[in-house]
Amino acid sequence: MSNDYTSSEAHPIQVSHETARPYELTDVVSPSKTNFIKVDDFRFFYGKKEVLHGINLEIPSRRVTSFIGPSGCGKSTLLRNFNRMNELIPGVRHEGDITIHGTSIFDPSVEVIALRRRIGMVFQKSNPFPMSIYGNIVYPLRIAGQGDRSMLDETVERCLRSAALWDEVKDRLHESALGLSGGQMQRLCIARAIASRPEILLMDEPCSALDPIATAKVEELIIELKRNFTIIIVTHNMHQASRVSELTAFFYLGNLVEFDETRKIFTNPSKLQTEEYITGRFG
Amino acid sequence: MHTEPSRPHTLTDFTTALDQLRGSVLTMASLTKKNLQNSIQGLFLRDDDFCNHSIADDEEIDLLEIQIDREGIDVMSRFQPVAKDLREVISSIKIGANIERVADQAVNIARRARKLNEHPELHELHLLDQVIKLSLEMFEDAIRAFAERNASLAVELKARDKILDRLNKEATDELINRMQDDSRNLPAFLNMIFISRCLERIGDHAANIAEDVVFAVRAEDIRHLGK
Repeated sequence: MSNDYTSSEAHPIQVSHETARPYELTDVVSPSKTNFIKVDDFRFFYGKKEVLHGINLEIPSRRVTSFIGPSGCGKSTLLRNFNRMNELIPGVRHEGDITIHGTSIFDPSVEVIALRRRIGMVFQKSNPFPMSIYGNIVYPLRIAGQGDRSMLDETVERCLRSAALWDEVKDRLHESALGLSGGQMQRLCIARAIASRPEILLMDEPCSALDPIATAKVEELIIELKRNFTIIIVTHNMHQASRVSELTAFFYLGNLVEFDETRKIFTNPSKLQTEEYITGRFG
Repeated sequence: MHTEPSRPHTLTDFTTALDQLRGSVLTMASLTKKNLQNSIQGLFLRDDDFCNHSIADDEEIDLLEIQIDREGIDVMSRFQPVAKDLREVISSIKIGANIERVADQAVNIARRARKLNEHPELHELHLLDQVIKLSLEMFEDAIRAFAERNASLAVELKARDKILDRLNKEATDELINRMQDDSRNLPAFLNMIFISRCLERIGDHAANIAEDVVFAVRAEDIRHLGK
């Protein structure tokens, strides 16, 4: 089993300094419904406190999967494990494994930076860097060593187009990103997240700070992006989960209660706990 | 799917709105049952007052159908129900429409009864006894299944609808024979055939209600099975 995350043989979408290019929605990679991310008896601890209790989950590629559940259920904790962000917190540890394309993300040979380049993340609160719109998009490419101006220009346009933001900002690319509206900032962050051509996009409540119109634009974007990315979204908005995702996982108290097709979860869930949560009969 | 009872909704307004919708359906069903009984009494007691009562009260049932639609839309727009709540709202609206059609059949029966009452009594009316009994029972049981969320009772109704179809056919065939033997009373026999058909349709609507109950309770679509 290969642990090399930059091997082009192991992974259809390669990210390296030499080949990095802006992502195109027209890049049609054969749609795979095979399991892509596998969570295997995964336990996670903050110090002595176990917050995820033996999660088993298989997430297929190029589909949108929602994680839902009440606050503190562990959904964001699991999400942040996919790109090993939790390791930034002192005293954490895990048991079990998470594999992507059959390779453990915790394998000693895996470079965390390379892993995070393959797994983009969008946060609850948009976090544009205090620089221009253009500078935000090219930042991940520049730190990866890409300096070709024409290539960077092309990346900016294509990523902003993919994020449905190009028409709104094309005349002010060199103005500060902090002057954008909340919804625009969040779409800029999505554009930045896809600039390094990740395979996976993690979204942690990406619309919770947005108004309904901006939310609709981001949701439209998520549906568009799933053609090329595997998207996992944590949301407290039940209807957002039902609108944008094909699969939904319901977590409660660190356990995965139910994982099924979204349509099934929201019309006829198998577990009483799931039904009580989604119908608002919880707590 | 699970079958355990669940807790009340966190939003009491949501529970109130669902209860209100359910209450409207049951009120509508109760009025329809009364109208149906008035029509049948008008037929057998040869009393036009019962028939007129049934025809006049249909307007209230029509208004209730509109009210149920409005309440259902209100619940959906305010609370965006999912899972069993969504199924209950959708089923209530569909059941309301079926009850309204049962009430229309009660009106049709009342109108035919008034015509029969213009002529001397015919003992052939009793050919409809079994059809009347079964169709009224089916409607009552369909509403009971809804009120008690009793999917098993609802499933039974599908089978009983086939029996009702057979009873209707037997009664109709017999009345056609009488028409050939007694052409003087041909209009009366025709009215009886129409009444029998109305009752058979009430059975169809009861079966439709039963299907919606099964969908609401078990999330199963049992329509058009076995065809």
